[in-house]
Amino acid sequence: MARLYRADVGLRRARHPDPWHDASVPNRTSLAPVWRWLLPFAVGAALIAVWAAASATDQFPRGTVPAPAAVARAFAVELRSGRLFDDVVASLYRVGFGFVGACLVGVPLGLVLARVAVARAALLPWINFFRTLSPIAWIPFAILWFGIGDPPAIFLIFLATLFQITLATVGAAASVPRVYYRVADDLGLRGAAVWFEITLPAILPQLMVALRIAVGVAWMVVVAAEMIAVRSGLGYLIIDARNGLRMDLVVVGMIVIGAIGIGLDALFARLARTPMMRWGHER
Amino acid sequence: MIPLLTTTGLGFSYPGVPVIATLDLEVGRGEWVACVGPSGCGKSTLLGLLAGHLRPTRGTVVRAGTSRTIYQDGGLFPWLTVAANVGLGVPRTVDQATRARRVRDWLALSGLAEFADHYPHQLSGGMRQRAELGRALVADTDMLLLDEPFSALDYQTRIGMRRELASALAPRDCAVVLVTHDIEEAVQLADRIVVLGPRPAAIRRVLHLPPGRPRSPTTPGVAAATQAILEELGLS
Repeated sequence: MARLYRADVGLRRARHPDPWHDASVPNRTSLAPVWRWLLPFAVGAALIAVWAAASATDQFPRGTVPAPAAVARAFAVELRSGRLFDDVVASLYRVGFGFVGACLVGVPLGLVLARVAVARAALLPWINFFRTLSPIAWIPFAILWFGIGDPPAIFLIFLATLFQITLATVGAAASVPRVYYRVADDLGLRGAAVWFEITLPAILPQLMVALRIAVGVAWMVVVAAEMIAVRSGLGYLIIDARNGLRMDLVVVGMIVIGAIGIGLDALFARLARTPMMRWGHER
Repeated sequence: MIPLLTTTGLGFSYPGVPVIATLDLEVGRGEWVACVGPSGCGKSTLLGLLAGHLRPTRGTVVRAGTSRTIYQDGGLFPWLTVAANVGLGVPRTVDQATRARRVRDWLALSGLAEFADHYPHQLSGGMRQRAELGRALVADTDMLLLDEPFSALDYQTRIGMRRELASALAPRDCAVVLVTHDIEEAVQLADRIVVLGPRPAAIRRVLHLPPGRPRSPTTPGVAAATQAILEELGLS
């Protein structure tokens, strides 16, 4: 990076170790990495301390909130037995299939809608109609159409994210500057080359933000989806533990879901920082 | 000599809004023609017509060679590095090794060699325009269409870029059509200046300038041409 400052006009020598750091831009004041790790852990530790103190002094009605130690014990037992791992894999599998399926359908559909006015006029109101329906409302149909097992859960995740991804793609594709298409025309790009070399990379940063939100929704829906028609996954773990009045296991399920949610979000945040996409946030 | 670009009775209207009234223009090989006019008179629309991006509502545009356009609002693809952007300018029929060599040569020539792997947002305005110029000229283009190419740059960089453009095109017999609101730019660079009236645009006057570019303000004929344009635009 240092070579950037050797020559030419318009490039400023930065005092900050990050050459792209601009402290004048709101919310860009970065923290040292150690603090970015320490602060969330400190908040977590404080919450656990308050929770432990409240449990120890019987602040919660009996049987409603398990003590942190009980949750830790349940976590260790689930981990040793391998059941927790199996549940995580089952949930990730369903989210993966449903979400990737929604991307494979939603992105091309959004591109077509952005480009073809007739398709947009015909389908956009219906996409908005279905988008507002809660995936939970589809549960009876999901079971009737797909029976029991993975397919209804995958279907619900697919539905929960499809319309969101489609609309995000339409919005992103509609905002691609016209000058890119004019340049592409000058350079002799035609047909599929325009889609793959201009439209797709141009919408990627905006699309990645939408996918990051959508994967969070998919992960939320998996819990509801697994409360029906399946006997595995983190959603099933929670509903099964509730039926057995094992609130410690319910909390274990909640913690694992939250932790994986953070992991998925971090994964998409990292993808958004790849050179192919970071231009969208640094112009 | 067969002109590279000919417009005959060219007219253009958006629904209910006439933009170009009637325009007859010929541009020959190696010739630099500037179109100047008041803001909003349809200069960029004219360039869109000449480039083939817009379809005339009246008359014809005939182009006899390849053309490339440089736009005022940044036509570099921000997801590609400088080298990849310039590389896109090389025709696809050219093999990979030749393409890489031509890109490397151009980047060295334009002083961007050490920024080859940078992205457009990491460059200054002047460097971006040089990269865009590189993408347009890395192929043997017959005609270069410039839409206010340096309007986003500061004054000093603009002067430097005019020199660079003139010297990059000096060994070629590329035709240039420059659409600009900058009268100084037009008189420094163009052999012929077409002054357009307010919308719907029509040619009000054509001025011829002495050879050599970029011209200094003291070059004979430059001051008179500047004055004539200002008069035509009602700014004298």
